[in-house]
Amino acid sequence: MESSANHDPVVNGATNLVANYQSGKISRRQFGKGLLALGLSTGAASAILAACGGSDSGTSDAGETTDTVASGEPKVGGQLREGYNRDVSKHDPITTNWYDPAFSCIYETIVTDDYDGNTVPQFASDWSVSEDGMTYTFTIPEGRVSHSGGAMGAQQVAEILQTIKDTSFIGGVSTVPMEGYSVEGNTVVLKMKNAWLGALNPHKTGYWALANIDTWKAAGGADPSSTYGTESADGTGPFTHTEWVPGSHTLVTRWDAYPGSNTPYITNKGAAYLDSVRWSVITEAGQRATQLESGELDTLIGPSFADLERLRGNPDLTVIQHPEWSGYHLTMNRDYPEFFGDQLTRQGLSHALNRQGMVDAILFGNGDPTYGPFPKTDRQYEPKVEEYNQYDVELAKSKLAEAGWVAGADGVLERDGTRFEFDYVVEDTTEQKQVAEAVAQQFKEVGVIANLKVVDRSVWFEQASGEGRKAAPMALFFWLWPVPLDILVIFGSSETIPVPNFSHAVEPTIDAAIDEWRLAGTEEASVVASSKFQLEWADKLPYLPLMNQYATFVHQNYVKNWQPFVWNLYPVYNDVWMDK
Amino acid sequence: MNLFQRALKNKQLVVGSVLGLVVLALGAFGPLIFGAYDTQDLLLGHKPVGTPGFPFGTDALGRDLAARATYGIRISLFVAVSVTAIAVVLGTTIGLIAGYVKGAVDTVTSWIVDFVWGFPLILVAVLAAASIGSGLVPVILAVGLVNTVAIARVVRGEVLGISEREFVVAAKAGGYSSVRIVFRHIVPNVIPVALVLSSYYVAVSIIAEASLSFVGLGAQPPLPSLGQMVSDGRNFIRLNHWEATIPGAVIFVMVLSVSLIGDGLRDLLDPRLRTAVERASAT
Repeated sequence: MESSANHDPVVNGATNLVANYQSGKISRRQFGKGLLALGLSTGAASAILAACGGSDSGTSDAGETTDTVASGEPKVGGQLREGYNRDVSKHDPITTNWYDPAFSCIYETIVTDDYDGNTVPQFASDWSVSEDGMTYTFTIPEGRVSHSGGAMGAQQVAEILQTIKDTSFIGGVSTVPMEGYSVEGNTVVLKMKNAWLGALNPHKTGYWALANIDTWKAAGGADPSSTYGTESADGTGPFTHTEWVPGSHTLVTRWDAYPGSNTPYITNKGAAYLDSVRWSVITEAGQRATQLESGELDTLIGPSFADLERLRGNPDLTVIQHPEWSGYHLTMNRDYPEFFGDQLTRQGLSHALNRQGMVDAILFGNGDPTYGPFPKTDRQYEPKVEEYNQYDVELAKSKLAEAGWVAGADGVLERDGTRFEFDYVVEDTTEQKQVAEAVAQQFKEVGVIANLKVVDRSVWFEQASGEGRKAAPMALFFWLWPVPLDILVIFGSSETIPVPNFSHAVEPTIDAAIDEWRLAGTEEASVVASSKFQLEWADKLPYLPLMNQYATFVHQNYVKNWQPFVWNLYPVYNDVWMDK
Repeated sequence: MNLFQRALKNKQLVVGSVLGLVVLALGAFGPLIFGAYDTQDLLLGHKPVGTPGFPFGTDALGRDLAARATYGIRISLFVAVSVTAIAVVLGTTIGLIAGYVKGAVDTVTSWIVDFVWGFPLILVAVLAAASIGSGLVPVILAVGLVNTVAIARVVRGEVLGISEREFVVAAKAGGYSSVRIVFRHIVPNVIPVALVLSSYYVAVSIIAEASLSFVGLGAQPPLPSLGQMVSDGRNFIRLNHWEATIPGAVIFVMVLSVSLIGDGLRDLLDPRLRTAVERASAT
């Protein structure tokens, strides 16, 4: 991984370039161009060149780099063609169950993260929190409108935020400590039920994107027949919703009336440089890199890890990698108590899984095993979870035996006349199928049969999210969220059965840890609660944690300022331009 | 020269039979030699052909491609034989009835056959999978249905022609029952057509099963369908092309073998059948 310790994309990029240059994968000229593309000054680039390659910086190289600087002024125009490793979700923050990179173009959030993970304004021009942590105040700039021309003042912002809180299933369950939003002059005021350190985090996600509430209502609101997010979307971001074709692509085009961003690190303070951005859905892992290498794409989100070494060696491309707040988990539907009702059985299954082996084989080492709910790179990661769920087949067998399972004539475990065999639903993507197959085979080695059902995304959601035994006994799922705890509490809370607590797990100690976290008004209290939550999860196993992968992005070197970083899921497209 | 001697002189039949025997032997004994198809070793992923202990290499999860490919042959043959058996029995029966009875029965049957024949195989397979779920059963039903109507079309045409022949007219004039005429005079003349067609549709079924598995509608993991192996392997084509090449080559050899056998049988049994088979191939 290029940057597990450092979250600054410039440093990450420079580190990559140094490694590639020193290993001979790129030339001195390409190295210099790369440094300048990262925004380093000529002087800084020369210093790094000298440090890495000796002191014989030739005049031709210097000339090349000077030319690059001269041509470094942002160029307006062009369509950014981006490969995307998932199917597209509807562009409706309230009803979507996933948010895609197009959300970063169409919408703004009220605040966001900077490169260091600090909260900075986005749509709001300023924000503050009261000393007792009970009131957050967001200043809304005057005269702002959405793409449709509708007003986006404090009243509209407060209304959409309140609607998200009241209507969105994710909004409702992840904002329990919030009382509600009101308007005071040109500010939106968020009142809390109790001080809570995590109050701002949901506001930075696509699920809290600021849509024009009137347009949203007119298109059908939360009704399943609504056309909002599919035929139209109305935000305040630098691009407008243009085409949305599931399974194929999404297109957004520049909004010329965009007044510029309030976010400090976004350098472009006017309309976007790009004419449009088009995301192509490429769920076949092997196709993504090929299309980038052949020039059909300018940028790529989520290349196959099998292709990464080759992409890193391509001097025309830059690979960006950093920790990702994501994870693969297995649900175990507690409404099948004959299989997953007892902790010993769940622990037995967990010990049967070679997580590091799966990271090495499937992610090519680009990830980490997870023994609790969090990825180990999270700021609140509790390393003591690693005392649980380690790979130990003998321990797995003994736990299962202790739970009363005995091998039948064909080696498959049985208990009280029930054979340990169940259906196991997995989404039809290359990586998820591999993970699912690897898991199923490891279960088989301890006498448990998990019959794979490979289905598309919508069917997966339907089969994983049913009530009671309508949901599949087991499902593999992948989550992605900027702040792990925010989302994992709603997967583990007994308040959210059957969705998104797909396991239908009721664990009082996990609920208690969640309650404690929701009452945490200080960093220390939050860490303590988070630690309890993780340890209880690792022990009680509402889900089986598997592994998490590193976020990986690749771009052609002519694409400038396309800089995904660890605190945002996707790049900021308003700064992006192409030098070709 | 008897039939056996003529068969030995038929190069297509001999080459096809040899290839077929090799494939059959691999399918029958391969899994016994190479072991279980789902044994995985996560430390041994993406090994190339010739790796000690893995003559065909390994896939992403360190599973032996030789074991999986040879088991895949079993699946392909099972589907192909099942589908063809269904198609030949049903298709021949439907074609016989429609061609001999004629009239309204023929009109309705032909309309249904043409209606089904108008649907692409993949669409029929998707509908079958949507109705009863993914797996080998919907593949067998879908491919079997489409192949049935294909055989019914050809057999019906043959029966229409044979029904006008003198020996059938004479039998009718002699007052024999329709059942006797069909089974004593028509069926024996249709069987060679059905046999040759069946060899063609075995090849079609192998390709259809591989295609449907390639797009995820066939055998479900971890069952190693050859089409699914090609699909999985293409994601690593630049890393270890053998993961796609090996199952692809096995499909090629199987289809080639069955096609050669079919062509050889056609020439052996009745060169005049070439027209009928070519007509079927064209459709």
